[in-house]
Amino acid sequence: MTMPTDHPECPPAAGSESHALAHRAPTGEPPIVLSTHDLTKRFGQTLAVDRLNLTVRRGDVFGFLGPNGAGKTTTIRMFVGLIYPTSGYATVVDHQVPRDKTEALKHIGGFVEVPAFYANMSARRNLRLMGNLNGEVEESRIDEVLDIVGLRERADSKTGDYSHGMKQRLGIANALINSPELVILDEPTSGLDPQGMKDVRELVRELGRQGTTVFLSSHLLHEVEQVCNRAAILNKGRVVVEGPVSELHPEHSSVKLLTSDQARAREIVAALVGGQHVARDEEYLIVEAGEDGATRELVRRLVAEGIGVDAVIPAREQGLEDFFLDLTQSSDVDAGGAAGVAGGAR
Amino acid sequence: MKLLSRELTKLVFQKRSYVGWGGLLAVPLLITLAFYLNRNNHHDNGPGGVISLAFHNGLLMPLAAIAMLSAFLLPLLAAMAGAYQLAGEAETGTLKTWLMHSISRGGVLTSKWGTAVIYIMVGMALVFLGGLAAGALAFGLHATVLLSGQTASIGHGLWLTLLSYLYVLVGVICVLSLALLFATMTNSSLTAAIGALVVFIVMNILGAFSYFDFLKPYLFTSHIDAWQNLLRQPISWHPIVSGLTTFVIYIAALMLAAWYLFRRKDVLV
Repeated sequence: MTMPTDHPECPPAAGSESHALAHRAPTGEPPIVLSTHDLTKRFGQTLAVDRLNLTVRRGDVFGFLGPNGAGKTTTIRMFVGLIYPTSGYATVVDHQVPRDKTEALKHIGGFVEVPAFYANMSARRNLRLMGNLNGEVEESRIDEVLDIVGLRERADSKTGDYSHGMKQRLGIANALINSPELVILDEPTSGLDPQGMKDVRELVRELGRQGTTVFLSSHLLHEVEQVCNRAAILNKGRVVVEGPVSELHPEHSSVKLLTSDQARAREIVAALVGGQHVARDEEYLIVEAGEDGATRELVRRLVAEGIGVDAVIPAREQGLEDFFLDLTQSSDVDAGGAAGVAGGAR
Repeated sequence: MKLLSRELTKLVFQKRSYVGWGGLLAVPLLITLAFYLNRNNHHDNGPGGVISLAFHNGLLMPLAAIAMLSAFLLPLLAAMAGAYQLAGEAETGTLKTWLMHSISRGGVLTSKWGTAVIYIMVGMALVFLGGLAAGALAFGLHATVLLSGQTASIGHGLWLTLLSYLYVLVGVICVLSLALLFATMTNSSLTAAIGALVVFIVMNILGAFSYFDFLKPYLFTSHIDAWQNLLRQPISWHPIVSGLTTFVIYIAALMLAAWYLFRRKDVLV
């Protein structure tokens, strides 16, 4: 799917003034905007979300990662009262969901799955109609959010004529219209072309810079790495790991090597660091090299032996991809499907 | 109230709203046209009953129209109006967008019910005014003979017509509420509308057999035609009151059930 009309330059985001305040108090951590407390949802036999505990603080751009079917959307639907939890609850700015759902929803803007609008109405009218449900919305604010997502020129076209990418961006505009405390975006880049993805990520980063709390669900690791400061990884309805994105890396210090002759390189490396520290996947040699100096020595030796070194990828550059696969597979001993699912999530 | 006006905005922006209204308006115009073209043939009086009274009097055209419409088209549109309100929005995905705002489920349900009722009211007003205008143009407005034989002035005739319309309105709101209840159980507006119509038709069939006469007072469908009792002098109130009581009980029970189901419904689409 390509949407050639969807490439305006990402304009500088305005708005959300109310949250641009000093959200990190000099003492202590910023206040909690969203938390869940043993949030659980069961559909018949299936445990879709299992005793979920998360904490999102003001100013966080929180990545909610997981393969398709992990329970991300079910969780988000519980935050916004579309689904009633089987047990547990969520708290949004001191209001419990589902108990004080109506109050909590005043502080939330966002969308779940594909944003849907009234097809026979213009974007402007849609924003007016929905924005006024949560409070009064000025026409100037509508212009403002349309500017933020670059839809100002098409504001008076029927949303039924919008492309997927435009609807996605209108979804973001609608999320921002009431300047909410918490912006929830469910896979906001799904179905977008590369330029559209880039625009949306830039927009989310900008929101984060302004101090807006964003809860972003995604199955794309590099997306979360690019825009989020904190993240949780969900698999089969359970949080596998939660923490700052910078810490969400494999703990081991492996180096991946790509050479002109992998078989010979393996022998040489094994002689150097010990056979048990060398493994091989379809593409790379994976070496537990120890400190950085060891890697340098390794490469020197390979080159000296006449082997061309095409790539050396240290652990911190390997990103969440492998970590994610490790986690989602290891928590899935009984069923063989997870590897396929997670693979599909790349 | 705020929610109701929002829902009405959405209604006005739905193309299908106009299809239903157009269909309703067409009926009195077609009846008038048929009577007018046939005005010299006194042996063919059309479907008979109240409808034949309108043969030479435009004043009775709205009544002739409602007699025809209350049998099927009006219940059909009521079923669709009720079903579209919830299930139609589930189909387009806007239900989740709507519910993600700071509004209560009960308020959403009530405003949607109110919107569907207003939709039917507007449709019936079109039938009334369309029938009256076309009838006046074709046959003029005259004092009329009531079913009990006395004569009623134009003003009194219009008053009785209005009462008849209100009675029929309450009757079809039963179908509408039934459709709205079904719409809380399914995400397909067609399923909800057809479900309501199936119940409506089955009730009609039950009412048609004397064996099931003991059921008749409990079927809202067998009360709908009772509006004709308003066209007597004096008005025979008993069937009117028992009809209205049945309607109100049905509507209250159906809406209570709909609220119970919708209150904690998991919206997954």
